[in-house]
Amino acid sequence: MRFALTVLLVAGAGALVPLVAPAYALTILIEALIFGLFAMSLDLMVGYGKLYSFGHAAAYGLGAYGCALLLTRLQLPLPAGIALAVLATLLIALPIAWICTRSTGVSFSMLTLAFAQLGYAMLFRFKEITGGSDGIDGIPRPAGPFGITWFQGKLGYFYLVWACLLGSYVLCRAIVRSPFGAVLAGIRENEAKTRALGYNTRGYKMATVVLAYGVGGLAGALYAPFAGFASPELFFWLVSGRVLIMVIVGGAGTLVGPILGGAVFLMLEHELSRVTDVWPLIFGSAFIFFVIFAPEGILGLIVRRRATAGQGTVDGAA
Amino acid sequence: MALLECRGLGKRFGALRAVDAVDLTVEPAEIRAVIGPNGAGKSTLFNLITATLTPTSGSVRFAGEDITGWPVHRVAQRGIARSFQLCHVFPALSVRENVRLAAQAREAGCWRPLGGARVLRRSAEAGDDALERLRLTGVAAARAGTLSHGDQRLLEVAMALAQRPKLLMLDEPTQGLSIEETDRAVDILNGMLEGGGPSLLLVEHDMEVVFELAHTITVLHRGRVIADGPTAAVRGDPEVQRAYLGDAA
Amino acid sequence: MTGFLGFILTQCLNALSQAAILFFIACGLTLIFGIMRIVNFAHGVIFMLGAYVGYTIIAVTGSFVLSLIVAPIVVGAVGMAFERTLLRRLYGRRDGGAYLMVTFGLAVVLSEAIRLVWGPQPLGSGIPDFLRGIVLVLGQPFPLYRVFLIGLGIAAALAVWQFLERTRAGLLIRAVSQNAEMVHALGTDVDLVRTGVFGLGCAMAALGGVLAAPLVTAFLGMGTTTVIDAFVIVIIGGMGSFLGSIVGSLLVAVVQVFGAYYFQDLALALMYALMLAILVARPGGLLGKEE
Repeated sequence: MRFALTVLLVAGAGALVPLVAPAYALTILIEALIFGLFAMSLDLMVGYGKLYSFGHAAAYGLGAYGCALLLTRLQLPLPAGIALAVLATLLIALPIAWICTRSTGVSFSMLTLAFAQLGYAMLFRFKEITGGSDGIDGIPRPAGPFGITWFQGKLGYFYLVWACLLGSYVLCRAIVRSPFGAVLAGIRENEAKTRALGYNTRGYKMATVVLAYGVGGLAGALYAPFAGFASPELFFWLVSGRVLIMVIVGGAGTLVGPILGGAVFLMLEHELSRVTDVWPLIFGSAFIFFVIFAPEGILGLIVRRRATAGQGTVDGAA
Repeated sequence: MALLECRGLGKRFGALRAVDAVDLTVEPAEIRAVIGPNGAGKSTLFNLITATLTPTSGSVRFAGEDITGWPVHRVAQRGIARSFQLCHVFPALSVRENVRLAAQAREAGCWRPLGGARVLRRSAEAGDDALERLRLTGVAAARAGTLSHGDQRLLEVAMALAQRPKLLMLDEPTQGLSIEETDRAVDILNGMLEGGGPSLLLVEHDMEVVFELAHTITVLHRGRVIADGPTAAVRGDPEVQRAYLGDAA
Repeated sequence: MTGFLGFILTQCLNALSQAAILFFIACGLTLIFGIMRIVNFAHGVIFMLGAYVGYTIIAVTGSFVLSLIVAPIVVGAVGMAFERTLLRRLYGRRDGGAYLMVTFGLAVVLSEAIRLVWGPQPLGSGIPDFLRGIVLVLGQPFPLYRVFLIGLGIAAALAVWQFLERTRAGLLIRAVSQNAEMVHALGTDVDLVRTGVFGLGCAMAALGGVLAAPLVTAFLGMGTTTVIDAFVIVIIGGMGSFLGSIVGSLLVAVVQVFGAYYFQDLALALMYALMLAILVARPGGLLGKEE
């Protein structure tokens, strides 16, 4: 009950933001929210499953290109384009998840990276469809079914993204607190033991990867019509790197931490990269610092402080 | 019909026969102990039965089904629960969450990502039940990793119980426990099995515990069975006595 | 020699010279793994750093030979500094993910640093004059530079082998690979050995970079493909196995060279297909058992 109220409050507050913020800030805000959503999707894998992916850009890129193609080639209404792009990402994620979860540890991470690299290479191989290094340009925001157009303007698009972010967050939170989430916690803590209890851990890991790809794909699908173009950089390993860094620094395993971390990071990046060229160097160094000295990330530290104060466990009430 | 039936079970690592042509049965409501010196192959035998290792020869039948070569989780689903020699719990989760996860495996819908409130509730109830029987309710909220060694072992047993198995396999459950904790454990195990509980197969070094609990004993030496029978008989077997029981007999 | 046989010979020589470069990288990675049980994700970027540093040395001094000597030393020092100040703090942590993250962070930081210092354009110094030209190998014309690579690769493999087998330092390294605690109990400063090996591994990768630069030019992004290649090699050859790094390098080079010829378009995909095939066949790898 309290959670529902909090969500409503936050939703309302967020809805008011663009009405008071200056117009140029709205663009950054929308990008920040999209990136926060992208970061949260990776948190499912990294924070809740300890499945370190170095290739999550693939999810983002798949969603973006999928949506771009659907909107430019088929002129589908925007919501349909986004929904179908997410579906396509989920489908493609199935074999990827199947192969990657065959391995653990570093091998798993290398496989995820390999798939992102493969995606990157495929873009250039099939340049008639994907536009090669130029990417896909001029992506429209076609009017929705029944002539709905409120999301075509920037303000409307903000609300679309905001709704998707909140909806995804509520969904993911429900999932991690479900029986499925409990099994995932077991896998994270001691996979062998979880298997010995009778759970088919491979299946759970696969499902987690696919879900993460789906939500990541949603972020990408929201990005493409917003930016108006999709280009191969979306698959580049540094994109995977940025989002992974954001999850760790924001606080892996909290969902909210990566959202906030991702959003704040993007806004900082926008401000600071105007001023200095060394911003990527800074955040890379910050990342190393966090991994060594504060691996729970910012939100993780806060949660831990509260938990030890209340003498509960990190995972909260059973 | 025997609950568990191992025939000619064997595991080779290269030239080493860790387990060699072992025949072993466990009947319903039976308590069987497996004893033998270190390196006799007791834990390996356990691993073969629970499918943590794949046998290189022989077969395992459980509740009428041939489970040889099955994956670990499938064997567990069929009704075999075990504890490990090196204690395996989920250290960062609370004691309550540990047993709840174990109990959850029995529920249809244990995998549900949504709409699983009932599953969670029932698992929690079954888990709390197991905690009570093991007298661990007092530490339910603590992180499992902070428990004393003895309590962690009991937690492992609680988790195995929460799985509501047909066969409970305990690998050195009293290892590292004080005399007091050992007595408590034996007490609990005896009580558990009286109420129509699972069959018990246990590896033990503590002979007093073995003689107090077990109906039957299997003696392993260098991977082979050298004696098998009712506790009194094995206890009285002069060869076994000489080699392994020392003065405890 | 003409015709088909000549073609095969050329391709084999290409594969050998390719294997030489791969060997430098893979050997470094496997040594580091053997000593520290971690996969240095930054290894590809270290290779890249070697290429760029080598380029600068040549630009400043005009001497290729000098770059072969100085670049590995410089990059090796960078590696050792990283290990001493940062990586070391993770020893004793049971969380395997932390090492991965830290070396990943290093990859990001180095990548960006390279971009800042040298700019985003690919840099090429070309093949040094004294190594230009064609020689005849069994009657088949072949670039001198590649012959030089093969020779250097063989020499290096022999040198490392002898170093590991015959010298005290090599013995120490092998001992620490097998049982670090024991070695520590015997009074050796294991930390020093680790730092040294990490530096050596980085130096070798850097040398590979210097050698590769004239062929491929230095460019951003060469790090990622390389680390995957190196990873495939050590998976094939066995993590921590020196001999395995030689075998793996040869195998991967053959696949890359012949694959590039017969399946041009899919050359890149072929590498990943190989990795996928290997990991599918042996999914635990030798790392899955590290829990």
